[in-house]
Amino acid sequence: MEQIITNGLLMGFIYALVAVGLTLVWGVMDVINFAHGEFLMIGMYTAFWMYSLFSLDPLIGLPISMIVVFLVGVFTYFAIIRRVIDAPGLTALLATFGFSMFLKNFAQFLWTPNYRYINDAVVSGHSIKIGTISIGTPQIVASIGSIILTILVMLFMDKTRTGKAIQATALNKNTALLMGINTKKMYAITFGLSGACVGAAGALMSTFFPIYPGSGALYSVLAFVIVALGGFGNIKGAMFAGLIIGLTEAVGGYLLGTQFKYALVFLVYMIVIQVKPKGLFGW
Amino acid sequence: MKSKLILLLVIVMVAATILPGCAGTEPEEPAEGGEDITQVDIGAVLPLSGGAAATGVKLQAAMEVAQDIINNEYPDLDIPLAATAGLPNMNNAKINITFADHQANPEMAKSEAERLIDQGVSALAGCYHSSATKPASQAAEQYGVPFVAGSSSSAALTERGLNFFVRVAPNDDMETGMFFEYLKYLNANNGTDISTVAVAYVDNEYGVHAHEMVEKWLENQYADEGFEYVGAVSYAGDVTNVDTEVQQIRDMDADALFHASYISDITMFVNKYKEFGVAPQAVLNYCGGFQDTQFVVNLGENGNYFAGGAAFSSDKLEDLPELAVINEMYKEKTDADLDGPALEEFASIMVIAEAINEAASLDGDAIMEVIHSKEFNAPYFATGAVKFDESGQNEVPASYVVQTLDEEYRAVYPEDISTTEPVAPIPPWDER
Repeated sequence: MEQIITNGLLMGFIYALVAVGLTLVWGVMDVINFAHGEFLMIGMYTAFWMYSLFSLDPLIGLPISMIVVFLVGVFTYFAIIRRVIDAPGLTALLATFGFSMFLKNFAQFLWTPNYRYINDAVVSGHSIKIGTISIGTPQIVASIGSIILTILVMLFMDKTRTGKAIQATALNKNTALLMGINTKKMYAITFGLSGACVGAAGALMSTFFPIYPGSGALYSVLAFVIVALGGFGNIKGAMFAGLIIGLTEAVGGYLLGTQFKYALVFLVYMIVIQVKPKGLFGW
Repeated sequence: MKSKLILLLVIVMVAATILPGCAGTEPEEPAEGGEDITQVDIGAVLPLSGGAAATGVKLQAAMEVAQDIINNEYPDLDIPLAATAGLPNMNNAKINITFADHQANPEMAKSEAERLIDQGVSALAGCYHSSATKPASQAAEQYGVPFVAGSSSSAALTERGLNFFVRVAPNDDMETGMFFEYLKYLNANNGTDISTVAVAYVDNEYGVHAHEMVEKWLENQYADEGFEYVGAVSYAGDVTNVDTEVQQIRDMDADALFHASYISDITMFVNKYKEFGVAPQAVLNYCGGFQDTQFVVNLGENGNYFAGGAAFSSDKLEDLPELAVINEMYKEKTDADLDGPALEEFASIMVIAEAINEAASLDGDAIMEVIHSKEFNAPYFATGAVKFDESGQNEVPASYVVQTLDEEYRAVYPEDISTTEPVAPIPPWDER
């Protein structure tokens, strides 16, 4: 059981980093980015092509994945979100859904649906044994990377001028404008930051997860659950909710059957929102 | 008002994407006789996007090779319809395959099959996923359109009593029997001591039925021969990780593991087996991801020593010259060798074309009469022929056991087809 709990926690940290980007956008802009899973996919492909074409290890290429998906995020804001942000919520939702379909199919057109693997990363093929617990090095590095990045995002939001400006924009856009905050720029940075987080997650996961056009799909769905469970816009909430989801999946799957592990995840979510409709840390 | 309009638009969009097969119009009747026909339309429903798309595009390529051979002259290729251009009994009409994407979604498979039937195809092929083949072939049955499944392995498909459905690949019932015989062969010849068996399977029609066949064969025969079932692990097809699944497999500590998995999941499993040091004496794979050549590409030497049923291995190319030519044509499209499922889908198009040609008709009943009565010459299979029994199952087993050795698939069983000895027990990970 210690092994199962360890596995669950490691996956939970990774889920949390995927969800942090989504909760930022959702919390600040009240926009549900259906293309979030495809951003993850782009991060993974960036890591793969850096590795395949330039022999760049995914950990070394992680900043490149972050920058690429940051730019994708910024582009998404200016090309799509900016035009629909004041429209009814369904419009933005449909717009990002359409963009998600486009990205997935464009990736398949460019790179074929073949599964790609990075087998010779620095961390590949190694594991650490602590007593009876075996931990794959790719997973532990991904988890540590996720923790560090999540903390950095929290510090950015709490301690930097830009982070505080983003929070002010999230609280009240009009007042933020009156205070001289360039809200469009804050939205663009938020979307970019969301992309950077999930791009980093993609690079970290590329060392142990297959890379293909649909690779972000289930992670995206779990990210939605984590955001709702942790509280919209709450990064700390996303971290804890990610751990809950990771543990539920691992422990619940082990005890009740792995075919039910995702059903258990959604069951936990439904139970929590009965008690706390705005999520564990929402208010 | 605006939001109501948007909601209406969304409803129309959703309806347009999920209800394409419900037009309710009668499909075009295929023309009788061959005099006026210049083109014979065949539909193929495959997973061209989604988790199995990597396999789906290869199956498409194999079918296109069959189309090329049928429609053009290949006088040096000694397989039916290769020497002539088109179908000679149908005024040399060319075949035209229309591909449709079922996205591994059974509902989509059904609606795409209906759409193709509505467009007037004379026969259908596909769908790789047994869960998709089931509803698609049910639709074909309803309209009296022949359906030839190449590689779907669930035995349940030929237990439905359908009149317009046949399947080329051996079903999982036949494969399970072959796997147990292989394990007995290993115990007798390789010094293994395999008695306990576990199953890891994807939780859909394919995996569930494969698991049922293991339980059935144990109960009917192999439990009396010393084999014991120790458990099973099932998982969702789009799983994000297999940590828990591999933990459970490790806990079972079975001597042999039967896998019913697609390429994405089996690759994750193998990497986790290495991480957790899971190495049963033998791992046998049903027709699925193991047979996809991406398995050895993705895993390299980590993919060695796994075994499974396959209709193709490159070590048989020397013995089967026609297969070598077909393989080269396929490689031009895919940069990879054929695999078992691709070859079986190739065969499905050949069977359809030959049957239409021999019937000299596009009438479903006439085509099925030929399909059920004829022994199809298939020199691209190691067993040389395709013949369907009353239930629609190809009674000539198209596949044999292969094992990945030095990152290549090698025929290891039965002995009259094998090109090398199997390696068993599988060496532990720390000894490789």
